Amino acid sequence: MALLIACLLSACGGAKSENEGVQDRLNTKELKYFTNGKRLYTQYCNNCHMDNGEGLGRLIPPLAESDYLMEDLGRAAKIMKYGQKGPIAVNGTEYNQPMPANPQLTPLEILQILAYVSNTWGNEADIMTLPEVQEALKEQ
Amino acid sequence: MKLWKEAFVVGLLVLVVSCGGSGSKKLPIMGRQEFKEVNGKIDTIYHTIPNFQFVDQDSAIVNEKTFEDKIYVADFFFGTCPTICPVMKQQMLRIYDRFKDNPNFAILSHTIDPEHDTVAYLKDYSEKIGVMDNKVWHFVTGNKDEIYEMGSAAGYMVPVGEDGAAPGGFIHSGAFILVDKERRIRGYYDGTKKLEVDALMSDIPKLLAEYE
Ligand code: HEC
Repeated sequence: MALLIACLLSACGGAKSENEGVQDRLNTKELKYFTNGKRLYTQYCNNCHMDNGEGLGRLIPPLAESDYLMEDLGRAAKIMKYGQKGPIAVNGTEYNQPMPANPQLTPLEILQILAYVSNTWGNEADIMTLPEVQEALKEQ
Repeated sequence: MKLWKEAFVVGLLVLVVSCGGSGSKKLPIMGRQEFKEVNGKIDTIYHTIPNFQFVDQDSAIVNEKTFEDKIYVADFFFGTCPTICPVMKQQMLRIYDRFKDNPNFAILSHTIDPEHDTVAYLKDYSEKIGVMDNKVWHFVTGNKDEIYEMGSAAGYMVPVGEDGAAPGGFIHSGAFILVDKERRIRGYYDGTKKLEVDALMSDIPKLLAEYE
């Protein structure tokens, strides 16, 4: 019995440590963004950036502990909406494979995905506001 | 010659869908079967992968002889695929890492977008995901019609094709197809699902064991 419980616990362990402390860091509204963002991530991003945000070799950059993501969330919002082409450096590795645009994503959905990716897998950031995301999407 | 042809009993087409042969530990043999009468005995003729010729990421010719005395896993993908391909490659890498030192094992990934995925592109792509040579894993390109023919009912029997409405412009299956040394299909697995790929990784040693 104890073994079974231990197994169950370790099976859930991944999800728990992945979102370590997110409950303490985010308020109720932000947690809702986070949860919705996780669902949207599965739908729009998971195929390329993978379950744990680890990316794929030198083909697709990681989002987990990505310096490129974390240093400018507004830029990440634009990448999600408009796609990204040309060489970029993520954690010291160069990537150069186009990422397709997601024109159908609304600013609120982008906000939610950002809330998720910037607060999971070891990432930690403040949640942007909707006007901030709208503003970021406007900039060239 | 004519007699020989007539000896085929046509019309008896069986599609083995999933694990047949309960009780035996051998993997099922998939696809259409024909039955041929030889000296009063009925022989089963299994569906086999036809001959082919493509070029891999190191510009080497890859054809049926490349896989002589090997079992292999085949799939279809394209480099700019916005959907399932990266996940499939992540899963195929698990298989590669586990079995790459076995001389009787190989992987064959066909691009379905040969116009874009040239030899040079496939070399770059394969190196970027961590496959540095073509010893085990061949990323092949070639004549588009021939590639699609390989996906058809004459080959691996999985959907592949061009479709302007599909994401990225192509439809293709996420299947990993396990092929034996006689070029018969021995299993289909969803290459986007870790659990199915786990099943494939436990079937590979079983298939290898059939030849020991
Ligand atoms: C078809 C595969 C694909 C999909 C789907 C995809 N990306 Fe990307 N993403 C890439 C690639 C490839 C790059 C690198 C672009 C380059 O090299 O210029 C990238 C780069 C990024 C970057 C900047 C680099 C980094 O790692 O921090 C962010 C942020 C990002 N993607 C987030 C997302 C989010 C969020 C989604 C879902 C809305 C998403 N991506 C969907 C392939 C994809």
